[in-house]
Amino acid sequence: MIVYIIRRLIAAVLLLFVVTAVVFVIFFEVPRLGGQTADDLASRYVGKTAGPEQTHLAAERLGFTDPLYEQYGRFIKGVVAGQDFDTGTSVEHCPAPCLGYSFKTQNPVLPDLLDRLPVTLSLAAGAAVLWLLGGVATGVLSALKRGSIFDRGAMGVALAGVSLPIFFTGLLALSIFSYNLKWTPPGGTNPMDQDNPWDWAASLILPWITLAFLYAAQYARLTRAGMLETMGEDFIRTARAKGLRERTVVVKHGLRSALTPILTIFGLDLGLLLGGAILTETTFSLPGIGQYAVIALNNQDLPKVLGVTLVGAVFIILANLIVDLLYAVIDPRVRAA
Amino acid sequence: MTAPLETTGKSAKAPPEATLQGASKKAIQGRSLGQIAWMRLKRDKVALVGGAVVVFLILVAVFAPLIVKLLAHPPNEFHYDQVNEATSLPINEPGGISGDFWFGVEPVNGRDLFSRTVYGAQVSLLIAFLATLLSVIIGTVMGVIAGYFGGWVDAVISRLMDIFLAFPLLLFALALAGAMPDEVAGLQGYWLRVVVIVFIIGFFNWPYIGRIVRGQTLSLREREFVDAARSLGGRSGYILAKELLPNLAAPILVYSTLLIPTNILFEAALSFLSVGVPAPTATWGGMLSDATHWYKVDPWFMFPPGLAIFITVLAFNLFGDGLRDAIDPRGR
Amino acid sequence: MKRVHLEMTKMRVTAIAAGVALAMSLAACGGGGGDGDGDGGDNATPEFNAGVNKVYNPSDKKGGTLKMANDADFDSLDPGDTYYGYSWNFVRNYTRSLVTFKSAPGEKSNELVPDLAESLGEASPDAKTWTYKLREGIKYEDGTPVKSEDVKYAVARSLDKDILVNGPTYFNDFLDLKGYAGPYKDKDKTMKKFTAVETPDDRTIIFHLIKPFSGFDYLAMLPSTAPVPAAKDTGTKYKEHVLSTGPYMFASNELEKRFTLTRNKYYDPKSDPDTGRKALPDEITVDLNVNQEDIDQRLQSGDLDVAISGLGVLAETRATILQDPDQKKFSDTADQARLWFTSFDNSVKPFDNIHCRKAVMYATDHEGYLRAYGGSSGGQIATNMMPPLIPGYKKIDLYEFESKPNGDIDKAKDELKQCGQPDGFTTNISYRTERAAEKATAEALQQSLDKVGIKTELKPYPQDDYGKIYAGNVAFSTKNKLGLRVYGWGADWNDGFGFLSQIVDSRVIRPAGNTNFNVNDPEIDALLDKALSTLDTKEREGLWAEIDQKVMEGAYYLPGVDAKQLLYRPERLTNVFITNAYNMYDYTTLGVQK
Repeated sequence: MIVYIIRRLIAAVLLLFVVTAVVFVIFFEVPRLGGQTADDLASRYVGKTAGPEQTHLAAERLGFTDPLYEQYGRFIKGVVAGQDFDTGTSVEHCPAPCLGYSFKTQNPVLPDLLDRLPVTLSLAAGAAVLWLLGGVATGVLSALKRGSIFDRGAMGVALAGVSLPIFFTGLLALSIFSYNLKWTPPGGTNPMDQDNPWDWAASLILPWITLAFLYAAQYARLTRAGMLETMGEDFIRTARAKGLRERTVVVKHGLRSALTPILTIFGLDLGLLLGGAILTETTFSLPGIGQYAVIALNNQDLPKVLGVTLVGAVFIILANLIVDLLYAVIDPRVRAA
Repeated sequence: MTAPLETTGKSAKAPPEATLQGASKKAIQGRSLGQIAWMRLKRDKVALVGGAVVVFLILVAVFAPLIVKLLAHPPNEFHYDQVNEATSLPINEPGGISGDFWFGVEPVNGRDLFSRTVYGAQVSLLIAFLATLLSVIIGTVMGVIAGYFGGWVDAVISRLMDIFLAFPLLLFALALAGAMPDEVAGLQGYWLRVVVIVFIIGFFNWPYIGRIVRGQTLSLREREFVDAARSLGGRSGYILAKELLPNLAAPILVYSTLLIPTNILFEAALSFLSVGVPAPTATWGGMLSDATHWYKVDPWFMFPPGLAIFITVLAFNLFGDGLRDAIDPRGR
Repeated sequence: MKRVHLEMTKMRVTAIAAGVALAMSLAACGGGGGDGDGDGGDNATPEFNAGVNKVYNPSDKKGGTLKMANDADFDSLDPGDTYYGYSWNFVRNYTRSLVTFKSAPGEKSNELVPDLAESLGEASPDAKTWTYKLREGIKYEDGTPVKSEDVKYAVARSLDKDILVNGPTYFNDFLDLKGYAGPYKDKDKTMKKFTAVETPDDRTIIFHLIKPFSGFDYLAMLPSTAPVPAAKDTGTKYKEHVLSTGPYMFASNELEKRFTLTRNKYYDPKSDPDTGRKALPDEITVDLNVNQEDIDQRLQSGDLDVAISGLGVLAETRATILQDPDQKKFSDTADQARLWFTSFDNSVKPFDNIHCRKAVMYATDHEGYLRAYGGSSGGQIATNMMPPLIPGYKKIDLYEFESKPNGDIDKAKDELKQCGQPDGFTTNISYRTERAAEKATAEALQQSLDKVGIKTELKPYPQDDYGKIYAGNVAFSTKNKLGLRVYGWGADWNDGFGFLSQIVDSRVIRPAGNTNFNVNDPEIDALLDKALSTLDTKEREGLWAEIDQKVMEGAYYLPGVDAKQLLYRPERLTNVFITNAYNMYDYTTLGVQK
């Protein structure tokens, strides 16, 4: 068991390295492929009156002229031990873990991300609770009442749910509930700025529901499919034959078994969402990591984009790891593998 | 099944592989898989409706120029007479809908929303199909190799899939599309964008198909008919082509059909975030992005593109679901 | 890349007597006058344009928090590193320059009045030397006194465009620098080599110019003259906490999110008799990077007091407001000294031939251009470069924009034949991605040019780097064949020079960061220089019109729209009026009702 955990941990760390390396390479190679030189990259960071010589000096100062592996090495070192950046007027120290330094806004990337993280966390957590409970409950009920009107209706709504893009449903929701009915505060309200939990929830309720609807639909379908399959298994028949109450059969035996794959997916979805719910945050103007990414992309602020991508990758890999470890706990067959 | 678009279809891991175990068992007994599936499909009214809509949409996409030419106005043509000069809003309520403009007009420039929606189908379906094709090709090749040869080959490819699945895809796509230079390999503008988007979506989504194919290959490998073929002296290549692929065709078909709507949503998201096909080409996502500015005063603007996406994705989902249920009805 | 700028209706180049300014400031004080916790601001009746040319809801009541929001981020809060009109307006809350525009409605807001200095500049007869004397007893937020050397240092640091990249370059262009490049390059904080500026004592500062400039007070108005003590300068980090000399100081600054200003206890209103600042709110908060639609919505729902960018509400909001009398009464409309236009790139064939450019001038649907900016509520069709608000404006309509607002296809085709492209040609149109109106303009241009066979492709670029890396970068523009570049320009201050110089003077053309994209005519340059040294107002104004005529004859630019915008005025605002200097509400006089 321990061996398994250790193996998974090592794999996760290696994976992180690989992903960061690939991201790094892509961000610095793709412009090169498009014909941009180190000087071109540096020109984004110098004054508008800078001549070619000054631009070249800046390129050297910023390290763009060094070979890629050196730049990557410095970056990794920075993550582990912090890094110093020469801004031209002073030397800025970016403390470990240093995810990069934006020369456009003259500040390290990590504090910005940490600052915005609570918003994305609030969004993800709230929606997750809603969709897990709602989706699973609906799926179970649908499976139990297979073929009934409830089943058909629920699955119909679920199908609609996975077929709608969130920027459409979000927009519609904003239009109706925020603008017309004025039940919820307008988009752009920062949930972390609210004074009390009630306002915090109010500013998030619309994104929660819109987001949760999307996922709940999928989870309802998955749960239903999983339940149907499980309930058809022999061990359920045995449990019933043993005389257990139906409720026990369903929840303790059926659901437990069907839930395992659900939880796997849940972990992964949550990981992805934490990496930046870009569409939701854009639609509702929530100041989280996703919105940060979009702003950084629009401004072509590479260090910021790099930082956000890494954070996203970290969450995904972390989620993968946790799910795998949980699996090992739940399912002894995995441990032996 | 499709996954919501804050993610892509990758999270659909465990159940698909599980539900298809039954399918291959049936393959060697009695009727062929295809015949049985087709019979079941025919009985599934809902799936047939989905299929019909899919066919309809494909026709619309293919014949878009003709349809627009005959029935409506050119998609990029301005119609100032349809828009109020001082408020920039369509003059006919709601949304500019009239006998001449069936879906209404766009604010400010009065472009025909019917034409733009129809042309939008072209972009959406073209990109989604091509991207899916790319995913299927890469995914099938990788999945088969991994599943058939096993050992370290499998380990490497599986780790590769893990890496791809670990990328925050939307973010990545945004960054790549945004960093793209204006001209690469002689392509520029519209077609460069199309190629880039197809590449990004298709290339990063291959593990979705890859995993399924690998799972199927793994289980098929152990089947008797493979052993039989081997014992008759068949080489790996022969076995792969003649025995495995036909049996893989079904799940590949099903999951491709289910991947297409995900890709449609993905392309719409990219257009929504303004890194899709460039203006003034009409795309559903791009139209929704424009509509976000007008939802307070002209809420009708969001409906043609929004509903178009919805109906298209729904149709593919219904048909894909039906296809999957036809091949393995246990999920019903 | 140029932004919203200051504006004026009348220009005073000659120094205004302090006494006149004083009289003006008293008269501008709306109802009540006086200081302290006076009364006033019992609910005035809201009506359309109540804040234009007069003070709406005048008040002297102090207290409350003024809530502002920005749909983007400031280019910089550092007064030496900013070029947005709204920033120059707002910066006066936490810094004081040598002179500034009077805070008063209507024409009075075009007058320069002394702020940090005791009076407007004293010029030498040849207008090449300018002397200012600082007021006594002005302190920073930490109690340390302001010295003239601090103003010298502020100007010195603003010269370095590698470190402080955003600000204007007027000091670089006018001071007799003799090669001095600022304290970051020179590494000498005592600025011994900076002989262009002298500080014989702690309260006197003398500027030596390389050429005469009778309008130097405008440069003294620039935020770059706000004092910065050399010892406390942190270079690119200074913007995170600017040392205040104004009525407010920074209480907090969450980069890219928001910042808060609270009262600066070392600011003495008695040392500020001329400007008209009121400093009514106890606190000012500014949220950054807020979605534009949300800003509009919050203004209307009362959650926000001011949209700081001053560009007015979005086109769609304008639509709702103008249609609804209950909303219209909360709005003010203002003409701006701003032109939306498209510039040609003469290095991109076939625009090197004037007839091909003229073909575009004739083919453009001008009504379409106007509609892209919101139709008649967004402005009016511009026929020449200078906006009507600039004194000396003359209507010049060489290409019949007004009589043929949808263009003249026949004349366009004729011009095409003359330039050797009878069947048209292909080129690209660039615009700033974030600007919906520019996208609409590009699309409209595409449609109208298509009618004469000119096929175009649209190329959006981010607005932050539009001038530096993309459209304003000579190499990039030529390589990517950006024959047409959609843009806009507002006057840095309201006179011909303030509007025209940065867009028609060939000597401001640089490899990158251009605002003058392609006008390179020595005759125009000569006229500009002549105007700078002409002391007679009427004669000078005539020269601006001449320059405008030459620019139009050369078909360098395609004028689009003389801009107007609609500002929303929430109910709880007091003391609201549009300052013609910046073309938006004056941010130093606003108060809030509880």
